Amino acid sequence: MKTLRIPMTMLLILFAAACVTINVYFPAEAAEKAADRIIKDVYGEQPAPSQGPAAEPQSRLQPESVPARYRYSLLDWLVSPANAAADLSVNTPAISQLKADMEQRHRQLAPHYASGAVGMTHNGEIDIRDQTLIPLKDRNTVKQLVAKENRDRGALYTEIARANGHPEWESEIRQTFARRWVDNAPGGWWYSSASGSWKQK
Amino acid sequence: MAPGRYARTAGLLTVILLAGVALTADALESISLKLGRVAGPGWTVDELESRLVWRDAQRAALLLTATQARLPEPLGTIGGLQLDCPDALIAADELACSHARLEFSSERIGPQQIRTGFRYRFSDRRLQLDLANIRLDGGRVSIKAVQAAHGWDLALQADGLQLDALAARLAAAGILPVLVKGVGTLAFSAQLKGTAARLDAGQVSARLQSSQFSDAEGSVAGENLELLVDATVTAHGASWGLSGELSAQQGQVYIDPVFVDATKTPVHASTRFDWHPGRRRISLHSFDYDQSKTVRLHADGSLDLDAPAPLEVLAVDVEEGTFPGLYNTYFQPWLNDTVLADLHTEGALAGQLHWQDGRLASARLQLDGLTINDREARFGVGGLDGRIDWAGQGPARPSQLAWEQAQVYRVPLGRSQLRVESAGSSVHLREPARIAVLDGELQVEEFELEYAPGAASSWHVDGILTPVSMSDLTRALGWPEFGGKLSGVIPNVNYRDGELAVGGMLLVRVFDGEVTLSNLRLAQPLSVVPRLWVDARASNIDLETLTRTFSFGRIEGRLDGRVDELRMESWRPVAFDAAFATPPGDKSRHRISQKAVDNISSIGGGGLSGAVSRSFMGFFKDFPYDRLGLSCRLENGTCQMDGVAPAAKGYYIVKSRLLPPRLDVIGYADRVDWESLVSQLIAVTRTQGAVVK
Repeated sequence: MKTLRIPMTMLLILFAAACVTINVYFPAEAAEKAADRIIKDVYGEQPAPSQGPAAEPQSRLQPESVPARYRYSLLDWLVSPANAAADLSVNTPAISQLKADMEQRHRQLAPHYASGAVGMTHNGEIDIRDQTLIPLKDRNTVKQLVAKENRDRGALYTEIARANGHPEWESEIRQTFARRWVDNAPGGWWYSSASGSWKQK
Repeated sequence: MAPGRYARTAGLLTVILLAGVALTADALESISLKLGRVAGPGWTVDELESRLVWRDAQRAALLLTATQARLPEPLGTIGGLQLDCPDALIAADELACSHARLEFSSERIGPQQIRTGFRYRFSDRRLQLDLANIRLDGGRVSIKAVQAAHGWDLALQADGLQLDALAARLAAAGILPVLVKGVGTLAFSAQLKGTAARLDAGQVSARLQSSQFSDAEGSVAGENLELLVDATVTAHGASWGLSGELSAQQGQVYIDPVFVDATKTPVHASTRFDWHPGRRRISLHSFDYDQSKTVRLHADGSLDLDAPAPLEVLAVDVEEGTFPGLYNTYFQPWLNDTVLADLHTEGALAGQLHWQDGRLASARLQLDGLTINDREARFGVGGLDGRIDWAGQGPARPSQLAWEQAQVYRVPLGRSQLRVESAGSSVHLREPARIAVLDGELQVEEFELEYAPGAASSWHVDGILTPVSMSDLTRALGWPEFGGKLSGVIPNVNYRDGELAVGGMLLVRVFDGEVTLSNLRLAQPLSVVPRLWVDARASNIDLETLTRTFSFGRIEGRLDGRVDELRMESWRPVAFDAAFATPPGDKSRHRISQKAVDNISSIGGGGLSGAVSRSFMGFFKDFPYDRLGLSCRLENGTCQMDGVAPAAKGYYIVKSRLLPPRLDVIGYADRVDWESLVSQLIAVTRTQGAVVK
């Protein structure tokens, strides 16, 4: 029995290490922080976001049952520090340029988010939610803004993944942004679920 | 209302009146009849009573009442029916009543007091019926109907019909679903002619005014719109001839994704076509569309709705297309996902387009003084004239384009012209083209473009770039200005799958030396994030000219260098491996000024700015040196620095000669943040003010 127990323990450790490694592989928290930095710059000065998002469960790296103090030591032990310290670089010229363009565009889009004409989609883009809320003469301008914003957002997600040497992270970065665009948005703005139905924050 | 119903109504009246006529024989002065319930197929009238009072032999006052009548759809049930005809003509060959009043209350159209009149001739069974002042949906409707042996005529006149009520009525009757909701009025007049149940000819004029209307999605909407519509329809055997005219002089209308402001650009359209219902064919004799300051076009053709490609033939003659209206209204909405999404346009075009079997078969366009400028400043062309001739099949056709000026990013291109030939999906140059680039010229020997519908296009250019002044180029690009000439033989420029690759070599004669650029590639050149790769070699650069140009502080000597695998994103470097140093065995005079030393030391981030000038070394204006150089390997925003030789804990940037005054500049920072390095460099060169050569 004893000879069997040692390999079992090894296997368990390996299994645990493998689980954590997969989680750290895409630095979800770092990605959220990076997303928040960009999103707050794009949104600019605005009323503090409502405390609503707590109601929406978000994926967490660690199980909530483990006390925070031990979580990091556990991680340090299992994963080499170089991996655990993984951070997302968002400081490339292309990203700065995209962010600057999005900041500028946001000023034109903000009234349409507030009116409900434009909403945030579940895939990190934006879409026309109700064009009847846009004056006739502005409808095509808003469509143009939406198309440009989506073009830039797509490029932004690709760039962040590429700048960090992991082009395959693009979809996870997109998902992270999709959540954070909504969480950082003021109350009253609209967002769509994966099924495509619109909800007001 | 179908003519059959008039016939039945006329029949009922005839029965009642004939009863009266029959009774006159007994010389009665008045007759009252209580008929109770009278019914026919699809209708009943309850408690029908009639009263006839004779005034002379042929004239009588007629009063007809009924408590309720159930009439065929869509008339529904009416109550309190009363027909009062004070002066009815009852003759042997004719029945008539010219000034009657008809009152009833309808569940569909509410209480009504209608002025009515009728006339019936027994000899030819001609019935004429007038109904005026019918209250309907907030407006008034009048009907004049004539039924005779040869056919029927119907004239309708309506004023002030409320659109929302009318739309709800049509939807309730199952005639037309509610497409749009809004506020507005409709007035129309219609003349219809027919025989039995068949319409022979009709004419309708309508005027629609709406302060606001929209469908649920907002894809069809309008504001303050006033529309005038005229339409006629004539039966030709088994087919119909239709013609119509529409004009909008004021208001705005949005039909996703086209927005037309008729107040600024009034619209007039007219058409004439034949519709063959049996063969499901449309022969379009003419379609003319005129929107002021935007487009004027004429089209004709034919459609077979049952064919796999319904469009058999269509010829569109764009007599005049005016920019920016044409682009803003009809092009831009479809271009949102392309590089043409946001253009400033001016000028005009005309053209003929021909479709055959659902495909564009040929196109001929004349461009007249066109200006196209990308609002994101990536490209632009001004004074564009030309003639584009294209056909999907047959021999190649010549086209030509000429422009006054153009620009790619910030590089201006001068007046040039291109003569090309196109056949099918390829275009090639008919004769070498010369495109002025600043003070130089791009001589294009060969140009070939291939495109396929739905696939990315590719093109190929062979050319030579004759010397371009670097001072002009750097000024155009907003870089620090410096002299020199850029030239090159670019034998093989290929664009495929979004990537531009330049074969051959570009040569920059600059600062008395040479810089060569090779392996130049540009990916997604007009996208949000253009990427550029290039290798550069610099040889025999005169440092004195270089440092004077950038006000860096004088350095004399020569410099060689290389930049390998330079990668730029959005025109800013993100990676490279670069090294610059005094060439080995260089015999030129090597001196470095105090100011240059100060600047070099301040850039390293050592905070030693002014150290030399403040120390006793400030006595010397400049110092001899043996070698100088710097290398930087940029990766992830950080520059891995090195110099010409290793020093204790650092590296030599400037290594002195053996003879005094000896001055070594040693760098200690091996990793420097690239962005701050660049801003320090800019700060150093700016503080002394740029020298314009």
